[in-house]
Amino acid sequence: MGGEDEERGKLKEFEQIDFLKDRHVRFFQRSLQVLPERYSSLETTRLTIVFFALSGLDVLDALHVIDKDNMIEWIYSLQVLPTEDESNMQRCGFRGSSHIGLPYSSKGPGMAHPYDSGHIAMTYTGLASLLLLGDDLSRVNKRACLTGLKALQLEDGSFYAVPEGSENDMRFIYCAACICYMLDDWSGMDIHKAIEYIRRSMSYDNGIGQGAGLESHGGSTFCAVASLRLMGRLEETLSERELDRIRRWCIMRQQTGFHGRPNKPVDTCYSFWVGATLELLDVFQYTNYEKNRNYILSTQDRLVGGFAKWPDSHPDPLHAYFGLCGLSLLGEPELMKVHPALNVTQRAFQHLQQLQQAWRDNVSSCT
Amino acid sequence: FEWSDLEPVPQDDGPNPVVKIAYSEKFTDVFDYFRALLKNDEKSERAFTLTAEAIELNAANYTVWHYRRVLLQALEKDLRQEMRYITAIIEEQPKNYQVWHHRRMVVEWLSDPSEELEFIADILSQDAKNYHAWQHRQWVIQEYKLWDSELEFVERLLEEDVRNNSAWNQRHFVISHTTGYSDPAILDREVQYCLCQIRKAPHNESVWNYLKGILQDRGLSSHPGLLERVLELKETQCSPYLLAFLVDSYEDALETNNTRATLNQAQEVCALLAQVKDTIRREYWLFLGRSLESKYGPTAAPQSDAASSDAADQQELS
Repeated sequence: MGGEDEERGKLKEFEQIDFLKDRHVRFFQRSLQVLPERYSSLETTRLTIVFFALSGLDVLDALHVIDKDNMIEWIYSLQVLPTEDESNMQRCGFRGSSHIGLPYSSKGPGMAHPYDSGHIAMTYTGLASLLLLGDDLSRVNKRACLTGLKALQLEDGSFYAVPEGSENDMRFIYCAACICYMLDDWSGMDIHKAIEYIRRSMSYDNGIGQGAGLESHGGSTFCAVASLRLMGRLEETLSERELDRIRRWCIMRQQTGFHGRPNKPVDTCYSFWVGATLELLDVFQYTNYEKNRNYILSTQDRLVGGFAKWPDSHPDPLHAYFGLCGLSLLGEPELMKVHPALNVTQRAFQHLQQLQQAWRDNVSSCT
Repeated sequence: FEWSDLEPVPQDDGPNPVVKIAYSEKFTDVFDYFRALLKNDEKSERAFTLTAEAIELNAANYTVWHYRRVLLQALEKDLRQEMRYITAIIEEQPKNYQVWHHRRMVVEWLSDPSEELEFIADILSQDAKNYHAWQHRQWVIQEYKLWDSELEFVERLLEEDVRNNSAWNQRHFVISHTTGYSDPAILDREVQYCLCQIRKAPHNESVWNYLKGILQDRGLSSHPGLLERVLELKETQCSPYLLAFLVDSYEDALETNNTRATLNQAQEVCALLAQVKDTIRREYWLFLGRSLESKYGPTAAPQSDAASSDAADQQELS
């Protein structure tokens, strides 16, 4: 008996498959503070980094280490609110950061600026961050957010990120679906057109690409399937045969961990993108948990915490967050469960459900 | 340039900044002046020049790129020169979204895609699977109808790396938008091409996905002689993908002619995959086996070959 334990101990040491919870808490704490200049390319997307860190801490059940009220104030300062004359309604939502240079303000009315507008991914992560911090979204101008969102949808059903124009693809359909889902209001998008875009993005190989004709990819497959789930249209849009084909495409992505496309190397974040899709399709249970877990942990940075896409690479907030989510899907003991479509903890999801119930009660008590 | 008339505008994150990036003085200067220009919506040469400096410091700042485009039009700048500029930037940062979007805008303004295929080919020569590059390529080809030499390009890439899934995807893109797969001669050409590539490199998910993809809506068991070829290949060029193709072929056959014999064949392959050939997906192949059994088992036409009818006779006699 003693010999077995000794052997297992040696194995653990050699393979380094232990999960360093406290390191990851500290990694996210540091991400929320000051980052060196080499992270400058993240300036316009700082709110997404905040989301990775906050939701990461939530998954680690460690949100108590941060000042929630300060965080909530800062996030609200990023809301693009309507100006007095509401002439900018189509540009409302949340900014990624203060990079435009408006003076700090966490309440309205909005300040007129020729180039100030929301970004769809920041509106999504801003709302999700407020939610997981326990905020009741009462300071969110929902009508403005939804007007801003609607202005971003194209004829083909996909979305721009910003009203000034940008690329358009499956990522922003997912952002739009999350926004509508959280605000419990689908008037912000034409669901039918979005669904058509999703269908047109299905590839000959049964995965889903970023758009029609494009190579199927684990990220866009997640965005498509999760969006349909959030819309409540998954089973009515895809036949059982189509669902089986997507299941097959996804399950073939496991090599040890998961990759995002056939014949590409594995990458920790796909343990979530593909894993969550498999979970939404009820077949994650048929994957190989041990190999997946071992891969994710092999990308853990034992010194600074966090996870990287590959072993012996530098960790970053995105891979740290999705590495954790990947482990959560596997039932890692110290981690909170993650809602596979909305990508927040089940706890945050339940808070949302309570909020939405209260909103509905308010509406019915007024009528 | 003279800047003294402008009041620089700092970033303001309030009393408790989050994820604050520590910029150098130079970085802060450039962007503080950029923010000042932005606020006034100034349309000038100095503004245009500053966007290049800002881009060099942070090419992911989409506001800078948008402002640069506003200036390109307001100042009627030379778009050919802008093409040279964006070419250089993309070569340095080929995985940035903003630079590809910018290039697309300039190509559209010029209505000139003539440099695109060569440029993208160069980017792909450095990373043959760059998703942005392929996306831009498909946009150019479809928008300006530049289909003519694309199949040739795809074949060249597949010769270099038959496992390049992006190239296989492009093959499907080109053919489906040109000849289509309805012509039996084309379909057969493609099937033969696949079988040839499989013989050269059997362990390749991409080629099997392509083969299945072009046949599955007509029925995998509908292409004459294919099942036999696959069963041959099973002996010398086996792979999990070949076996999965077999299972799917059997399932396709079961849909129109549900027999115990075919169902057993499918089950055998599932078992082979689960136990030997694709053990990482063991639980999935077992699940698939169970699904097939429950879907087709109850109504499968009973076996009537010699072996099982002897057994049935023996049972009757005893």
